[in-house]
Amino acid sequence: MIRINCSGCSLLCDDIFVNTNGSIIDQVIGACKKGKQRLDQLNAKNRITSPMIRKNKELKKVSWEEALNKVKEIIKNSSKPILYGFSTSSCEAQLKGIELAKKINGFIDSNSIICQGKVLNVAKDSGITLTTLAEIINKADLLILWGANIADSIPRLLNKALFSRGKFRLTGREIKTIIMIDPIKTASFEVMQMRDTALYIQLGKDIDLIRFLKENISIDREIIENKIAGLDKEDIKRLIINLMNAEYGVIFVGQGLLKSNPEYNILKELIELVRAINSKNEKGRLSLVFLGGHYNMVGFEHVALSFYGKNHSLQFSDNLLVNTNDTIVNKVANDDFDCSVIVGTDPISNFPSFLSSKLASKPLILIDNKKSATMEVADVFLPSSLTGLECEGLAYRFDHVPIQLKKILNPPSDVLSDEEILNNIIKEINKK
Amino acid sequence: MEMTVNIVRMIERDQIEEFSFGDELSLKEKLAIGFLNPKDFDKLGLVKSLHIKLSNKYGDVIISQVRDEKVPEGIVLMPVSIWSNQITGVENGNIIYKDLKVEVEPTRDPILQFKDLIAKIKKKK
Repeated sequence: MIRINCSGCSLLCDDIFVNTNGSIIDQVIGACKKGKQRLDQLNAKNRITSPMIRKNKELKKVSWEEALNKVKEIIKNSSKPILYGFSTSSCEAQLKGIELAKKINGFIDSNSIICQGKVLNVAKDSGITLTTLAEIINKADLLILWGANIADSIPRLLNKALFSRGKFRLTGREIKTIIMIDPIKTASFEVMQMRDTALYIQLGKDIDLIRFLKENISIDREIIENKIAGLDKEDIKRLIINLMNAEYGVIFVGQGLLKSNPEYNILKELIELVRAINSKNEKGRLSLVFLGGHYNMVGFEHVALSFYGKNHSLQFSDNLLVNTNDTIVNKVANDDFDCSVIVGTDPISNFPSFLSSKLASKPLILIDNKKSATMEVADVFLPSSLTGLECEGLAYRFDHVPIQLKKILNPPSDVLSDEEILNNIIKEINKK
Repeated sequence: MEMTVNIVRMIERDQIEEFSFGDELSLKEKLAIGFLNPKDFDKLGLVKSLHIKLSNKYGDVIISQVRDEKVPEGIVLMPVSIWSNQITGVENGNIIYKDLKVEVEPTRDPILQFKDLIAKIKKKK
């Protein structure tokens, strides 16, 4: 048995054991449903292992040479290419993607821009108190899940955060309090015990609770209002007591809290709330954790920031980075592109249908390993290997800690890594 | 009846899993679905065999429905999928997946197949 890091989600669990002869995996220990699904993708019935080109409205198997020629033709005929995806690619592939964007004077963005990418943007102005998984495991005594259904998105995070004993305590679950703030009783609520609190907040009223807490974050303060954001004042009081008494509190922020509103910036106000609590709390600290699901969503931001000084939405012109306020969303919405290179993601399923139609209306090159809605509209399909199983690479865990993923199996014969495919595209374009 | 749609990740209704291991039938069965409170189920006069049509300014979609006591009144929960994205849109440069106001009505009309949705997307070109 060998120990691997799982690339099923952004937790990148390091305690998964597999038995393999280099060709197949015949035993897995420790993986959750998502991890098992990732391993099963090796031999999934809908896995695509040959390059394909659309001919007479149907994708047909072709050689790599023919596929790359077609890619070159599409890109050479384009003046406004866009590249998108990369949250399920290694950092090396992400860097290669940016290199390609630079080479072809394109625009590149990652999935994080419609997910947790908003967080670092807000944090740029104000700073942010983050934490790591190790600190959560070893120190946390208060876990707040705010609009975050971890049980369905990062399944083993609750096991690790809630049931671990930690290095610095003799106790585990019994001293840990969990508070759920959500309008919906999600699967994550199943772990709750007597000491824990469920706060069924009114849909879309999170900002009211944040603002109330910012102004009233004191254990001694009498609460006059009977209801805030649909919550009873006794529950609010209990929340305040927990926030002010925690030695190491963590707020897990989920998609439920990230909805944008033109009238306020909820993330900015949440960061201000955490700062206010920390300034008043003498014995403890409260931190934030942002939960992106894809295994290397955070990686793109680090790669782009490290090499180009900007964490997302990079526009190149004359092979130089230029200023832009565009994101992938308004590039597509405004028809400001003439072809797309999609890597390891499925925007035709995940984007609103009017954006999907715009993407589908122009030449689309897809690098992926399985069927998807995007494959149904792609002009070229380039099959890629599974990082962390069939190729190695660096990935950033959800808490911004870099983890090296191993290669443990050989990919199918005609399948290359994302990095190799992107490198081959660059080479093809460089050919005269 | 006006309701609010929240689009969420559901581990048991995961589109990557369906695209990897399923087929067009399982995709539709697992992903073209909405969960709603039994009181809303009654208010809409639903029975198991009926579908629901969700419409808003972004589009419309017909899905199957399931009663779920965990879902608060007034809300329809949907898994992320090509079906749920028929009623999502963009506001202030951001894609809106939560708090989507929709008009919900019972219908006997069929749910669009995956291939029909792809054809619809291609047709809008």
